[in-house]
Amino acid sequence: MEVLSISTDSRFTHKIWNETELSKMVEGGIPFPMLSDQGGRIGTVYGVYDEEAGVDIRGRFLIDPDGVIQAMEVLTPPVGRNPDELIRQIQAYQHVRAAKGAEATPSGWTPGQPTLKPGPDLVGNVWKVWKP
Amino acid sequence: MTVARVGKEAPDFEATAYIPGKGFKNVKLSDYRGKWVVLCFYPGDFTFV
Repeated sequence: MEVLSISTDSRFTHKIWNETELSKMVEGGIPFPMLSDQGGRIGTVYGVYDEEAGVDIRGRFLIDPDGVIQAMEVLTPPVGRNPDELIRQIQAYQHVRAAKGAEATPSGWTPGQPTLKPGPDLVGNVWKVWKP
Repeated sequence: MTVARVGKEAPDFEATAYIPGKGFKNVKLSDYRGKWVVLCFYPGDFTFV
């Protein structure tokens, strides 16, 4: 799993932010590349660039090994994200990818819980296998 | 213009980047093919949330 963070700040600002603040919040500092999207060119393509404010709003995209976007979440500025939910989605997407389409994960699924096997036999019978 | 959508290929891009411990490098999304990637946009360095 690789993480790329991206904002409209310059790479120079990223360096100073990591050195002066983030490294004091996270031991060793940030372990992933911090990308610069000056002008919002990339954010525009991803639908997260706010032209009035001149910034990329909070948007998170989960991209699989084939380069396909599997999940996205976009939030307005005052509310932060929930990393636990991101991790749950990663685990679920990795599970269904390994199952090559034979399994699906129900609402709230976490590793170790039963998955669903979509097919004619499951129609009308989800209640038998999924007990939230 | 390509627009990001679930189930579709992520639009490729190249960006300048600061990689802690490695300095300034260019990063291309397609260089990460074969790996899972979390791409995280945020409003700005030194902001609060």
